[in-house]
Amino acid sequence: MTANKSDIELKNFFIFNSSYDSKEGEEYNKVLYYYPPTDDINTQVNNVGLVEAIIKFTGNFKPDGPLNSLHTLKKRQLYFEPEDHYWMVMTLNLPFMNKSRNGSTYLEYVEEEVHDSIYKAVLKQAYSMYRLFSGTYSSTDQQNNVAALRSKLDHFYSAYLKTLKLSNCDILNVFSGIHFLPLDKQNFLNVQCFINALECNYPIIKNVSFLFNDSLIWSGIEPDDTQVIYQYLISTLLPANIETELQGGSIPRNPSSPFSSLHYGRFITGPSNLKTADSVGKVPKIYLNNEKDAAVYYFIVYRALNASICLFINGDVTLTVELFKELDEFMGPKLSSIASDIAEYCTRHIIPPNTSDSSPRFIYFNKLNLAYKSTVHLDHRQTGNIACNKEAVQIIADMNSKKDLLGYAGETIVKTMNDYWVVGKVSNLREFYVVLQHKNASLIDISDEVKKICDSELKGIFFHPM
Amino acid sequence: MSSLKEPYLELSDHPVRFEAVNQVTNVFFDDSNKQVFAVRSGGTMGVVVKGPTEDTPPINFRMEDRGPVISIKFSLDQSILAVQRTTTSVEFFIFNGNTIEGEFSQACKKNTAILGFVWIQNNEVALITDHGIELYIIIPEKKTVKHSKTTSIVIQWFVWCPKNKIAVLASSHGSQLQPAIFKPGTISKLSKVETEPGRMTLERDVTLATLYGTPAVLILRHQSGPQTAEVHVHTLNGPGQAPVKSHILRLGLSGRFAINVVDDLILVHHQASRSSQVFDIALQSESDGTVNYHKSVAPAKSLKPTSLPLPGLVEPQTHICDLYSPNWVVFQPNIVIDAKLGCLWHIKLSLTTLCAQIPDLSVCTQLALKRTNGKEVLLQLLLDHILLPKPLLYKLQESFNHINSVYRLWAEAQILMQTASPVSAPPPSKPSAPPRVLISQSDMYHYILQKLMINDDHLQNLEWALISYMTSLSEYCIPVEFSLNELLIKILVQRNKFTALVQLLQYGIVADSKPLACLLLSLGNLHPSASQLAMDMLVRLGAIEEIQEVLIDQGQLLSAFKLSQDCVSPRKFLQAAEKLGDPTLFHSMLYCFRTNHQYDKAFLKDERLHSFLQHYRMLFPEKTLSDKTT
Repeated sequence: MTANKSDIELKNFFIFNSSYDSKEGEEYNKVLYYYPPTDDINTQVNNVGLVEAIIKFTGNFKPDGPLNSLHTLKKRQLYFEPEDHYWMVMTLNLPFMNKSRNGSTYLEYVEEEVHDSIYKAVLKQAYSMYRLFSGTYSSTDQQNNVAALRSKLDHFYSAYLKTLKLSNCDILNVFSGIHFLPLDKQNFLNVQCFINALECNYPIIKNVSFLFNDSLIWSGIEPDDTQVIYQYLISTLLPANIETELQGGSIPRNPSSPFSSLHYGRFITGPSNLKTADSVGKVPKIYLNNEKDAAVYYFIVYRALNASICLFINGDVTLTVELFKELDEFMGPKLSSIASDIAEYCTRHIIPPNTSDSSPRFIYFNKLNLAYKSTVHLDHRQTGNIACNKEAVQIIADMNSKKDLLGYAGETIVKTMNDYWVVGKVSNLREFYVVLQHKNASLIDISDEVKKICDSELKGIFFHPM
Repeated sequence: MSSLKEPYLELSDHPVRFEAVNQVTNVFFDDSNKQVFAVRSGGTMGVVVKGPTEDTPPINFRMEDRGPVISIKFSLDQSILAVQRTTTSVEFFIFNGNTIEGEFSQACKKNTAILGFVWIQNNEVALITDHGIELYIIIPEKKTVKHSKTTSIVIQWFVWCPKNKIAVLASSHGSQLQPAIFKPGTISKLSKVETEPGRMTLERDVTLATLYGTPAVLILRHQSGPQTAEVHVHTLNGPGQAPVKSHILRLGLSGRFAINVVDDLILVHHQASRSSQVFDIALQSESDGTVNYHKSVAPAKSLKPTSLPLPGLVEPQTHICDLYSPNWVVFQPNIVIDAKLGCLWHIKLSLTTLCAQIPDLSVCTQLALKRTNGKEVLLQLLLDHILLPKPLLYKLQESFNHINSVYRLWAEAQILMQTASPVSAPPPSKPSAPPRVLISQSDMYHYILQKLMINDDHLQNLEWALISYMTSLSEYCIPVEFSLNELLIKILVQRNKFTALVQLLQYGIVADSKPLACLLLSLGNLHPSASQLAMDMLVRLGAIEEIQEVLIDQGQLLSAFKLSQDCVSPRKFLQAAEKLGDPTLFHSMLYCFRTNHQYDKAFLKDERLHSFLQHYRMLFPEKTLSDKTT
């Protein structure tokens, strides 16, 4: 491993529709979005043409299966067809190292560090995020026109691509899981009752999700939608908000009476200052349930202390400042007290993971409820802040992509050159990966160690072998 | 709502009728036996005794007229009649059911005047004079009276509570109120009722009652100026039954009042406004640390109009009774007498109507929980509230909390009684009476939740109510019964809310049990999470056999076998392996059993297993051939 290795880079990213009629010389009509904008139109058309050719060519051999990626010496190209004839393509420059042999230097490209599954997941996420805010590509095309779709894509992806941190992408992108807060029954039921009261009082609220810090406690919407919204909240909306909170200082707004119940709530989307607001302002709208029967909802996020609550309100009602004021009055005190109860529970019952370097690390993922837990990662925001060797995390991604070979239940153990052991276990649609660092350990030692971790971490669930 | 205007208090439909007061007839009421005495011409024209209800057969007898009767009372067993005609003596007669005979009398001590007399027991009577109390034992056989005890104290007037055998003795114009408790042969004075120094009290303003099993002295305090009247409630539950001023009822009115108690609720009738207020001292209220200040639980309402049938010349007529009439006299606990009309009513409370007029569900619940017939009313009240288009869920939860706090206390007491205690331990205190209203989980299930399950339109409200109820149970650490857990799952399945169901299971809201795990397994084809959660539940229950069954069913034979290798049925496994049609798996399974000593024997014993050997030979003919050659 040499230090002067280059990072993985985005070479280009484009979306095109292969069904658009194209006469000779007008192929650029197919291109819906292209990054970088600095590439001239010829390069764009050539790249799209090449991809189309590859799709056609490979289709001869494998007409049913999806086309995933193209590996070349210096590049990796990933393909995703989210909707019929709409193709998303991402080309990455592989990281490389300067090596010298016999006095001459040459570049060595590190192909094995770029996992198809991870970057395919990145591509899918890019699509889901767009769809959340703007609906499907085809619906925009049908309801408006291609020009509208082009401008929407341009507007969204130009900003979105800037936020991509390709070198930090890892196995978590593949899972794109949700971190659930471990909570006791009573606190959870209190959250439930609060949500029920909210939905009962305001029937325009169709669904509610509840987060505490970066962890989900409750979501009333379907898991695939929750997944995207969760990603958006913890990677974009909440971090941005916390920054403004830190700048402005999160002092309670109603300190006038010490006897009134504490009220720390405020809207994150929607009017930020209710006292001065005379109009609702811009409230984001999102598209949910895109797979079956898409519907538009207002997406209102309200936060008190560390608890954030997302309200999904019927998109066809007119929102008024009065409604926001009423909601604020209803939610503020209750949410504040629930949040402080949960915070108290967390400080008493949740032990922060051991931060010492040599302690075993694990990643857990359950495909069915999308729950994940990781002690490999030190936060939920994919900042590349990991607690063990990067190589080990890459081995996990390799194991994950080959997990189908294990069948219903099974185990893989890998030992690396630098005394890392990576153990992957699969059972009952759950995955569990453990990273250990042990010098001179035998397979039996490792097996025992893993068993111990399983006993403590996977208590109360069916995970084979028990 | 019409129920908002309806009166919640009414007079009994069948009042005790007696001859009204006129020139020749005097009427007396004995509040110990609740009997009305109509004495015609001093007794010579007959005495008619009625009560306590209209159904009780009246007693008739005659007695000599020896001057105006001041007071007349039967002993508690109706065998001796006591009549007071002077302030110095009381006459006694033996009563045999029809006539009086064997007269004897007892005078009080010299230079004292009798204020009244009360029967303490069947044969013990107390004469209360202006100088003290004299206790006498009556010996009917000898027709004699035996003095047993005298207590000296200056008394101006007294109020008697026959139920608790407590008298409040007043002196210094009622500024000194001395409660005394009567026990056979003894009188014990309790601590004085604390009143503002020098504040005088009239006899009619003092009421003795029993509230929630505790004797209490209720004193009506009229205020001067713009302030309105109050009732001060002194409960006799201090050390040594000392009276403690614990509650103040704010009447918000001034004028003439009368007090009754029905089902531990204090009714205060106001004559000028012809209305009555209801107070419950058990309700939470404003408090200054020692005294709780109560307001009427519902708006003041007049009693329900009532009428009497009158025989008419041609056809019966009805007489509309004048309510809150100046002729009314009230007696404890719930008696109203109109002597001019010749009627004795009992006041009744319609809890349903009262509750309908209390806007706050939680207050209503607390009130209903303390009433003798509160259960049905409360269940109906909750059901009605849940069915509102926008039920107030937090109020509902408060209600459930009140219900469950009673439920929890009762359950704890039950457990305590059933727990065996060591011989040396003191015997458990006497079993506490069951609460007046106990709403168990099964009551909730049968009378409320199940009713809502029938109608699809109510499912949303049912879900809200059920979650609220379960939250409340959890707050009181009461384990949720299976029927409720099952109901919750059914509702969510019916409403297609699998995501919600999964999250509820994830957080352990639904308690683990084998039947629930089976229910979840059966839902597995609708939602894959259900079977995963079912398996987790089985693991937590330690149900290895069931897990094995499920795995065999899923075709995970090797996993199932690894789980437990003792006491499995080879036939089950081999059958499943044969059905799956995977020769390698069949080979592994069979090999596994044949190499295991424990199971190999079974192949000799159990002929049914032979078919599997044949099947094996069919699958692997060359292997069998090679076996033979070797």
